[in-house]
Amino acid sequence: MINLQNTSETINHLLRTFRLLQKVGRKHPEVRKHEILFYQLLEKYFTRILNAREEGNFIATHTTFMPGEILYAMDIVPMQTEWTSWILALFTKRGTDFISEGRRLGLTNEVCSAQRGIAGAFSLGTLPRPDAVIWSNLICNNIAKNGELIMEINRCPGFFLDHPLGDSAAERNYLRGEIEDMIHFLEEQTGRKMDWDHLSDSVAGTMKQIEISRQICELRKAVPSPFHPQEFMEMLTVTYLFQGQPEATEYLEMLYEDLSLSVSEGRGAVSPERFRVMSIFLSPIYRAPFLEKFSQEHGMVSVAEPIFTQWEEGKLDPTRPLDSLVQKLYMLPERSLYSPVGERTLKKIVDCAKEYKADGAIAYADVACQHTCALIKLFKDVLNDIDVPLLILDCDLVDQTVTSEEDMREKLEQFLELLEDR
Amino acid sequence: MKPAPTADLTSQALDRFREVNGLFPETSHILEHKRQGKKVLGWLCTYVPEEIMHAAGVLPIRITGYSHEIKPDEGNAYLYVNNCSFSRSCLQLGLRGGYDFLDGIAGGSTCDCARRLMDLWHHYIATSFYHMITVPQKYSSKAHELYYEQITQFTQHLSEFTGIEITDASLSHSIQIYNESRELLRKLYDLRKANNPPITGSEIIEISNAGFRMPKETFNEYLKNLLTNIDTSRHAYSNSRARLMLTGSILGNHEFVESIEQLGGLVVTDDLCTSTRHWYDMIEVNQDESPLRAISRRYLNNFPCARMIPHDERLKRIRDLAQGFRVDGAISQIVHNCTPYTHELSFVTKMLEAQGIPVLSLDVEYGTASSGQIQTRVQAFLEMLEGKRR
Ligand code: SF4
Ligand code: SF4
Repeated sequence: MINLQNTSETINHLLRTFRLLQKVGRKHPEVRKHEILFYQLLEKYFTRILNAREEGNFIATHTTFMPGEILYAMDIVPMQTEWTSWILALFTKRGTDFISEGRRLGLTNEVCSAQRGIAGAFSLGTLPRPDAVIWSNLICNNIAKNGELIMEINRCPGFFLDHPLGDSAAERNYLRGEIEDMIHFLEEQTGRKMDWDHLSDSVAGTMKQIEISRQICELRKAVPSPFHPQEFMEMLTVTYLFQGQPEATEYLEMLYEDLSLSVSEGRGAVSPERFRVMSIFLSPIYRAPFLEKFSQEHGMVSVAEPIFTQWEEGKLDPTRPLDSLVQKLYMLPERSLYSPVGERTLKKIVDCAKEYKADGAIAYADVACQHTCALIKLFKDVLNDIDVPLLILDCDLVDQTVTSEEDMREKLEQFLELLEDR
Repeated sequence: MKPAPTADLTSQALDRFREVNGLFPETSHILEHKRQGKKVLGWLCTYVPEEIMHAAGVLPIRITGYSHEIKPDEGNAYLYVNNCSFSRSCLQLGLRGGYDFLDGIAGGSTCDCARRLMDLWHHYIATSFYHMITVPQKYSSKAHELYYEQITQFTQHLSEFTGIEITDASLSHSIQIYNESRELLRKLYDLRKANNPPITGSEIIEISNAGFRMPKETFNEYLKNLLTNIDTSRHAYSNSRARLMLTGSILGNHEFVESIEQLGGLVVTDDLCTSTRHWYDMIEVNQDESPLRAISRRYLNNFPCARMIPHDERLKRIRDLAQGFRVDGAISQIVHNCTPYTHELSFVTKMLEAQGIPVLSLDVEYGTASSGQIQTRVQAFLEMLEGKRR
């Protein structure tokens, strides 16, 4: 029996699982190349974390929307808090332990289980101890307020990157200053200097990834739509973990090729395609296999996730890497949740529903994610105006005890019946 | 334990504040201001400088929810059940027309619930003026520069809206009035340092609440009247069992404090945004600097909210207050689903307990007057504090 309290045993367990999944995938011709690459990349990411100490590398743990390009350019080993702990929770089945430990630390149910789980995973020693924490307030209070606790648990220094709410010139300038200060902090902590050429290359990589992501979105407009639910989580994972790196570009290119082929052959992700839905917010990570199966059984396909896959307009200029990182943080699809949510975000939701010919929309209402749930009524109203019904599905991103699969199935089936009757 | 009978002049002075609260949410002062053709703006969160609105001839009033616990039907429907009960109560009051007298609202990017409350207010309860201030979450010099720029924008926007030029002279005048208020409140709070304070924690909340809904000039007159007439030999509560501090998120209903005091817990200080944190720091205008600079510095550096990072300054200030007011214990009251304060609670508890100050933590609905369960827990806490003293 593996001792999952032990970091290296835990990671080795993960690595074995990822290798096995690649092996199984290679034996089955119907498994597409990008699916195998996904596990290969996870293996690579966790191997770097596992070997960091031995190789004398510096580990910086960072929250979701931190510009990871900076870490790669400084040869720092990135450890993304949310995705790393979720992957751990998923593959070790210890999500509940992490969440309970977070509660023991004083993070009561008001704090989303995602952040409780992260603190718990660090506290239990399941995640490796980082050398520094860098975190920000993008995109919620829970992320912002967890940083000091993670610093305390790991007894390591940290840098908080403060995102302004709006996007005036002064606010953009402030964000640029914050990024500069963070680079100075990392230089001091690591004793290394920023490699600006490497940073420019990473920014070019990010621009490339944004372009491919936009092309993938275009492909998803096809009827039938070629994108599987599990591809959404995989795509997010790879682009969050390898920001601006060739690995993410390779993955996206492969995905794009696979989807293009499906479109040219008129093959949809589900057959026959009966319901085109738009997904608002994140679906529970651990229900991805269920959603895949359900989609196949019912001919339901998610055609768009406006808040996660739709980049805002704009370009990055690798010759001006800092300005480009600021620009990227303003172009992030998820940022539309942060700025005062007004006409622009509402228009994005409505346009998306029209352009992707959505029959309905599903809002995954994470029971402790306040700022997302507080938008459901607004989104429901604007979608209602264009006759696109919205299903609210109460759930929890990480805590499996909140909604059962049966509950989800029942609500989804009722919703599809409603769509069918129209 | 019942409050001791109050001396007449003291109670008369206190009744003036109570009269204002009795007319919540639309006080006679608000009506009078409007009758004069002047504007009333609602502000949400202590990082929105009132002096600027005052200098534009506006009556700034604080947006709060109902003064009692409610069933937040519309609050839940619009903001979802997981947003803090304060924001849901505010929105419900707004949706039901309680704030129809407002000409506009101004808020800051303080926390998720506050910014979503502003989003929904803007969409569903339209007002002619709406302004959102980016409030940096740290104290660096760059953060101060950004906040200064933000309130400069706010000043310009308000001038355009009211048609009144906001000058250095008008800002200086407003600073003087608001600083006077802070000084008077400090004097009042200092009376609570006595072994047998002449004023209760509950009365302090009543005073603060009134101050949010009337012109500061009149509020200052009321405060002066109270300070002149307060009977310092008055023992607001005899035989108190322990001196307490209240910490945590927003608190609107004075009856909640009264329920603790009736059990013998004398609330002598707090770090609540509806009392101490609202008035604590003075605005100090340095030589050769504009009043707006001074306002900006004070508001970002003021007694911090749990949102600020790092939290060291807030912890230090809480510790200083606890020592200054010689508290035996602290009660943390956190409004249901208030995440910034929930995150900070373990740090506050650890710090206070290291000072030998036990902490009772209560998760409450905004506006609550108390409950059987709260009473039982407070009672047990007071017994524990008494046991510790013996
Ligand atoms: S689930 Fe919601 S509250 Fe939690 S970290 Fe994610 S965005 Fe923030
Ligand atoms: S600080 Fe807490 S009580 Fe105040 S608005 Fe934010 S979440 Fe609500």
